[in-house]
Amino acid sequence: MPIEHSFNPYGDSSGGSTLAIAGKDFAILAGDTRHSTGYSIDSRNESQIHSVGDGLLVSPNGFSADARAFVDDVHNDIIWYHHKHNKKLAISSCARSIMHTLYRRRFFPYYVSPILVGIEPDGTGAVYSFDPVGSYEREASRAAGHASELLVPFLDNQVRKANQVDPETGKPLAQHDLDLETALQLVKDAFAGAAERRIQVGDWLEIAVVTKDGHKVERYPLRRD
Amino acid sequence: MADRYSFSLTTFSPNGKLIQIEYALQAVNQGVTSVGIKAKNGVVLATEKKASSQLIDNDSLSKISQITPDIGMVYAGMGPDYRVLVDNARKAVHSNYKQIYNEYPPTRILVQDVAKIVQEATQMGGVRPYGVSLLVAGHDNSQNFGLYQIDPSGSYYPWKATAIGRGSSSAKTFLEKRWSEDLELEDAIHITLLTLKESIEGEMNGENVEIAIVGEPADHLLGFEGVQASGPRFRTLSVQEIQDRVDSL
Amino acid sequence: MSNPSEINGGAAVAMVGKDCVAIASDLRLGLQSVGISGDFEKIFEYNGVYLALTGLATDVQTLSIDFRKKHSLYELREERRMEPQTMANLVSSTLYSKRFGPYFVGPLVAGLNSSTSKPYICSFDSIGCIEHANDFVVVGTASDQLYGICESLYEPNLEPEDLFETISQALMSAVDRDALSGWGGVVYIIEKDKVTKRYLKTRQD
Repeated sequence: MPIEHSFNPYGDSSGGSTLAIAGKDFAILAGDTRHSTGYSIDSRNESQIHSVGDGLLVSPNGFSADARAFVDDVHNDIIWYHHKHNKKLAISSCARSIMHTLYRRRFFPYYVSPILVGIEPDGTGAVYSFDPVGSYEREASRAAGHASELLVPFLDNQVRKANQVDPETGKPLAQHDLDLETALQLVKDAFAGAAERRIQVGDWLEIAVVTKDGHKVERYPLRRD
Repeated sequence: MADRYSFSLTTFSPNGKLIQIEYALQAVNQGVTSVGIKAKNGVVLATEKKASSQLIDNDSLSKISQITPDIGMVYAGMGPDYRVLVDNARKAVHSNYKQIYNEYPPTRILVQDVAKIVQEATQMGGVRPYGVSLLVAGHDNSQNFGLYQIDPSGSYYPWKATAIGRGSSSAKTFLEKRWSEDLELEDAIHITLLTLKESIEGEMNGENVEIAIVGEPADHLLGFEGVQASGPRFRTLSVQEIQDRVDSL
Repeated sequence: MSNPSEINGGAAVAMVGKDCVAIASDLRLGLQSVGISGDFEKIFEYNGVYLALTGLATDVQTLSIDFRKKHSLYELREERRMEPQTMANLVSSTLYSKRFGPYFVGPLVAGLNSSTSKPYICSFDSIGCIEHANDFVVVGTASDQLYGICESLYEPNLEPEDLFETISQALMSAVDRDALSGWGGVVYIIEKDKVTKRYLKTRQD
């Protein structure tokens, strides 16, 4: 019998879930703080929301070793951008930069599905989402991580108003920009539901609100079981 | 191929009768009397416990059997045949009903299942009919209290009150006079004892009469308390309980 | 193709309201990614008791017919209606009888008790384990999506019309995010002496 050896570079340790919503003049990036490997909880207090400078927030969503390396890369890219160009990195440019960072590892990818959140130069809130090899788009909302299947239909329904009609006219409801208060309530409700049904999600909910003046993070309890 | 030649012993006589079934009924009519009465709030089954010898250990004997928590039965006729039917009835309860619907069968369904077993013995090859008539008493939520008789032919009848066995015809005449629509369970037990008293030779007491009731849920028989659950409605009366009632006749 | 429960696709959900229950499913029948039919109903009625069957379509049809037989014989024999609870136990024992060669289905039972009018819903796994709930139950290829949105949209004691809106929005938003479910929907709102059936127009992709 030949002896075989193998090494799997990807593990299964990861954070729970994250969720982003773009508003008219704000953007939200929320995530729980549970970190788990299989059925074990590694940490109840590991933030998934990373400030990478220039008012931009990133959540990496995926295998945590790659996630750290990825966030460091993005952070470095912004620092080098400052050195080279001596100006703020616009969010659309950061998104393109992340695309290159991910595609550079096309044949040994970072095991992540990142979300980038910030304010566009025109003042509107922006959410960019990526697949592990760099394909990306700007969206009104996005969920990623272990509970993404649970969170996405709710966001479709409440942010994009999918399948909703005006009771008066019978016409489909148009997506309107949410006010901050409503958006925050949606985020809390969505995570309460996700924590109810997904064992990887729980402990604390961190909600970061980005405006033109920077970002602010608030914490709310989630179920701990 | 032994079974190829084992024809049913129950074959029609030229005048259209099944003689074997009539013989089985005769066996029943030689049996010890059993009585059943349905009241407003319960059913009572009673029978005489006859010892053929002084030496028989009478308290280890019981003729009325529980089939489900809410159904019980008694017989007149051949004891061994009865025990086979009790066994089969208990099995039928589970395989035809409880294991499918996770609840106990209503009285009529149990009666139909037992009657089916009894009927099969009148048509099958290599067997004889059961030499017993049964009285089945029970309660279910859709039909409330029920009292049924099953005969060796597989026929079954619903009754307000009836008797089977040796003294059955005089007992039935007695019951016709005593039964009324607004009978309470305690009255029914009383009438049962009066009915049996007619046919018992010698003194009647708690030792030689057996009584069972289907009444209100007997929560004390549940074995535990503290959660919402109701106990069995079927319950046999103790010697003392019977004696007290005999004394107050 | 390896997982029989995910060949044909489909999803269903049931919810409890105030003195009423609702049960809903999509209408798609597919072969993997190819849509075959948009009028494949997965909810079956048995004299006031409603059974949704998702999963492998051949098993859905076989079981719906098998339960029709068992239910009819029960009502003829017992001369009474079969309660939702009893139906649930019948489904459970029928599925468990195929423990080692199961039907590939995800069933739901919904109804009101015929004497007390108490709402009853439950779901099953493919070998008959009953899961009771007093809010909502979900099955099918969009079950994750349904769990997520029901957990956020559902509230207790909804009136029939509000329950219809809630279950419809939940079903539509969930199946829109599942490639194997959708192509229209159907909703039953079951009240004490009224049942309302409505079809839902949904996106056809």
